[in-house]
Amino acid sequence: MIDVKNVRKNFGGFAALKDVSLHVRQGELVAILGPSGSGKTTLLRILAGLEFPDAGSVLFDGGDATHVAARDRQVGFVFQHYALFRHMTVFDNIAFGLTVRDRASRPSKAEIAERVRHLLSMVLLEGLADRYPSQLSGGQRQRVALARALAIQPRVLLLDEPFGALDARVRKELRRWLRRLHDELRITGVFVTHDQEEALEVADRVVVMSQGQIEQVGTPTDIYDHPATPFVYQFLGNVNSLSCVIRDGVAQVGAFNLPAPIRAGTQDGSGVAFVRPHDLHLMAPSEGGGAAAVVRHVTVLGPLVRLELNIGGEILEAETTRQRHAELQLAPGQSVVVWPRQVRFFLDDGWQGSSRLDGAPNPALRAAL
Amino acid sequence: MAVAAVAVAGSQRHRALSEPRWVRWLLTGLALATFGLFLLLPLLTVFGEALAKGVSSYWAALSDEDALAAVRLTLLVAGITVPLNVVFGVIAAWCVAKFDFAGKSVLISLIDLPFSVSPVISGLIYVLLFGLQGLLGPWLAALGIKIIFAVPGLVLATLFVTFPYVARELIPLMEEQGTEEEEAAVVLGASGWRVFWRVTLPNIKWGLLYGVLLCNARAMGEFGAVSVVSGHIRGQTTTMPLQVEILYNEYNFVAAFAIASVLAMLALVTLAVKSALEWRFSKEIAGMGH
Repeated sequence: MIDVKNVRKNFGGFAALKDVSLHVRQGELVAILGPSGSGKTTLLRILAGLEFPDAGSVLFDGGDATHVAARDRQVGFVFQHYALFRHMTVFDNIAFGLTVRDRASRPSKAEIAERVRHLLSMVLLEGLADRYPSQLSGGQRQRVALARALAIQPRVLLLDEPFGALDARVRKELRRWLRRLHDELRITGVFVTHDQEEALEVADRVVVMSQGQIEQVGTPTDIYDHPATPFVYQFLGNVNSLSCVIRDGVAQVGAFNLPAPIRAGTQDGSGVAFVRPHDLHLMAPSEGGGAAAVVRHVTVLGPLVRLELNIGGEILEAETTRQRHAELQLAPGQSVVVWPRQVRFFLDDGWQGSSRLDGAPNPALRAAL
Repeated sequence: MAVAAVAVAGSQRHRALSEPRWVRWLLTGLALATFGLFLLLPLLTVFGEALAKGVSSYWAALSDEDALAAVRLTLLVAGITVPLNVVFGVIAAWCVAKFDFAGKSVLISLIDLPFSVSPVISGLIYVLLFGLQGLLGPWLAALGIKIIFAVPGLVLATLFVTFPYVARELIPLMEEQGTEEEEAAVVLGASGWRVFWRVTLPNIKWGLLYGVLLCNARAMGEFGAVSVVSGHIRGQTTTMPLQVEILYNEYNFVAAFAIASVLAMLALVTLAVKSALEWRFSKEIAGMGH
């Protein structure tokens, strides 16, 4: 269990963390998600004791650890670039945390060997004990780093962009493997990432950070379906951002005229509205109503087709299936009609909400709008 | 078919990356001629002159009482200065490479100072500082401590001249290696001392070894700074390079070159040891780059 209370950290004049508070439950795996410079790595290093906060406190299992030195915290830390001891074999790397203990608390040689063997089998690297780090692949190195961190039986496991330096396929494999491993060990874990897919797939809960502050904390579904701020909505997945004005029951979102969202308080207002590319429904001009658009660019990405559309001078991104692409025979220069199935509003007066617009209106309804 | 295609492509690329034959021969020939003229020929001359009057006079020159004293003194000076500079160099490099602090650039400039100051000047500074007419001279004389024209002066001058070798070798290496491994060790529960012995030192050992070899070669061969503070007292304050000069000025060429040949052999042994270690541990050294 980790508690972070009102932590602040400045580097020179730069505020890396501005009053951050966070609670991580026992046995939970939490992802800290944010762009570079959002303070996520600083927060992780403060948890590890590699940095110390200017103000605020850090508690492990209820006990104050704010000023406890890194070597006494009993945390496991996995670095983005592994930081394996390059002159030591895999065995010696994993055993390091045990062999540097004082004689009184150091396990016997046989116990250390046994524990290293166990960890090697857990990270699926049996038989590589005598290799040097330079003889391993990136994925293997990262698993050695993880075994080394787990060898000291840490109270919490901290991972700094653990898969950031790996290629896409290995990253995906390791991600699932880490999730399974965590389900077995139930160790309290925090990992930092800038990859939203990684955060949503691996973590029990996700903490979204931006500019030294926490934007939202929630389960992956919460974060994706009910983003608290425009930043979170934009950061999770591709999104089209449009200006929006609501007047007399009509929401003008970019080139779209939509029914205004139902909301309490003032009816009129303005702000931003977001539409996900896969929520843009594409039709032939004869099929239904919406905004007229011209296809600018078509990219086929496996089962999906990504399109750039020019709608009244504004460039929007849309995604559709291969099947729909074939039906409409989409090609650059072609005219289509576009209708947003779902729009998320963030209005200047603080109101936010989604409106679902299932099914495109028939041309008659469009005329009414 | 595919293999043939690859082979053709390979040979074409080979041609694209290499010069015409006559250019290659010319450049190789120039390099070898320079090496022969400026390195090999002088080295052979040293041994040739030393053995000009036969092996017996060569041995006689080497077993001379003053010559042996010069060898002993050189070994003593190197034996004191090299370990001290290893300690200073490692500490200085550690500070510069792993920490940020005010005055870091001043420290780096100070480390480089002996490279930019003429050795004669650095010797002279010690004379002005510790000599009888110097700043601290009367006070030292009153205490009965003799530095200039004695062994302590030789050690100080050599220490100053050879100071940058270890630190300069280590700073780029340690900067490139960063601090992540040390951080990993600390988080795993290692004390500062253990981190140094088990992580930092093993990572820099090859760089340290090169630094020590260079430092040792310079400590034994130093002439300028040592010449100023030595006083040239035969059998007492003459190191090997100074002994060579004295003998040469007395037209005792065989003896001068005999001692010079010993110095040259020390250099050759140093080179051989370095190459042998590089060859023996090439795999491990290659791994250090990661």
